[in-house]
Amino acid sequence: MIWKLLIFLAMSFVVVMAFITPSPMNPANTLGPVDVYRIFYFHVPQSWVATLAFLMSMFLSIRFLQTKNMAFDIKAVTANRLGLMFAILATVTGSIFAKMTWGEFWNWSEIREVSIFILLIIYGAYFALRSALPDPDQRATLSAVLSIIFAVSAVFLIFILPRIYPSFSQHPTDSVVDKSGKLTMGGTVSLIFFTSLAVFTALFVWIYDLSVRLQNIYEKRLLEDK
Amino acid sequence: MRNDSVNWVSRVLAVTEKDIVSEFRTRYAINAILMFALVTLTVISFAVGAFSPTKEVMAALFWIILFFAAMSGLAQVFIKEEESGTALALKLASDGTVIFFGKLLFNLALLFALTVIVVPLFIILLKTEPANWLFFLYAILLGNIGLAGATTIIAAIVSKATIKGALFTVLSFPVLMPLLIAVIEITKSAFLGGVFKDIAAPMQLLVAYDVVMIILSYLLFDFVWRQ
Repeated sequence: MIWKLLIFLAMSFVVVMAFITPSPMNPANTLGPVDVYRIFYFHVPQSWVATLAFLMSMFLSIRFLQTKNMAFDIKAVTANRLGLMFAILATVTGSIFAKMTWGEFWNWSEIREVSIFILLIIYGAYFALRSALPDPDQRATLSAVLSIIFAVSAVFLIFILPRIYPSFSQHPTDSVVDKSGKLTMGGTVSLIFFTSLAVFTALFVWIYDLSVRLQNIYEKRLLEDK
Repeated sequence: MRNDSVNWVSRVLAVTEKDIVSEFRTRYAINAILMFALVTLTVISFAVGAFSPTKEVMAALFWIILFFAAMSGLAQVFIKEEESGTALALKLASDGTVIFFGKLLFNLALLFALTVIVVPLFIILLKTEPANWLFFLYAILLGNIGLAGATTIIAAIVSKATIKGALFTVLSFPVLMPLLIAVIEITKSAFLGGVFKDIAAPMQLLVAYDVVMIILSYLLFDFVWRQ
């Protein structure tokens, strides 16, 4: 209960503060309207959660193949489902930002747009395979194998894409922390940003926990019915 | 030890040989692949006949033809075992790695047969020619190894599913995406006539991709096959 309350309060703080504080970008070095940059408070944590879910599902798939414990399969599919949801959110927010600053919703020369697109395709393919396998054991094993192959392919894309399109990237690359380890953002901005990062992660963990429990109850019911 | 490895190779070749013999009886996969390639090639040459596309576009078109033709037939290697009910007998006859490499070699042979027919037709119908044949050869060689290496295990996965044909393309695309990007880059250089420095980076990545994908499939194949 205390966690739910904390997530609610922190999320409200982020949503309100993101709109009432000054924009995180200096008008001198922006491409478009300064207010557009407020989307950064939501877009970056969403992308981070999508990546986290992707890595988690890979890890859980490997664990499943090692142990053949169906609990890992339930966890892996839940991580994938949430990953897909957050990846869609990150794509939509990123696309809105792209339209406002560069005038296009979509641009294939932007590396990050290509990679998020591949991520969406990977999630789609994963669920397409699962729906085509009626047997639960088979579904669990084959989709685990597939996610490991996809993970390796994703690593290749991360290395290949920047070499093929070397410099054509308009995505803001200002990192949150500079080379010497100091914060490059101002105090208020980093407070909102890191709260947002934490609260999105907590939200993910909370939804994840709930869906795993729900799925377990559902599986138990199925067994009892048999 | 030496005897063992010779034995292993001959067992792999036996699986490939069995597949080639049964392929020549039905000619299902090779017909599907060749007809698909021919149809795509015809559509493309009619579509671009009115204007002359750049060499970059040609390189991409060439791999679109090969990719979709390969997608129409490469999954057959495992689907036919499941459909005719011979998968169980094959499981008893040999172990997983032997089956995997046997099937991989068969798919590779199928792809090379496809390229041998498609390349001359492509050159004749689209009135273009690679400026650098050596680069073109590299692209075809490494591209085919990668195509077969990455999709053989996916064919094994798909053969257990209820909808096979469409699913194979859907699952293969994200895996083949890095391969296609790199191989189109090399083919572009081959058509434009570049120097080796242009293709060094995609070549390295392509070799790494082929090796990693084959080893990964080899490691994971038993999980799929024993299902």
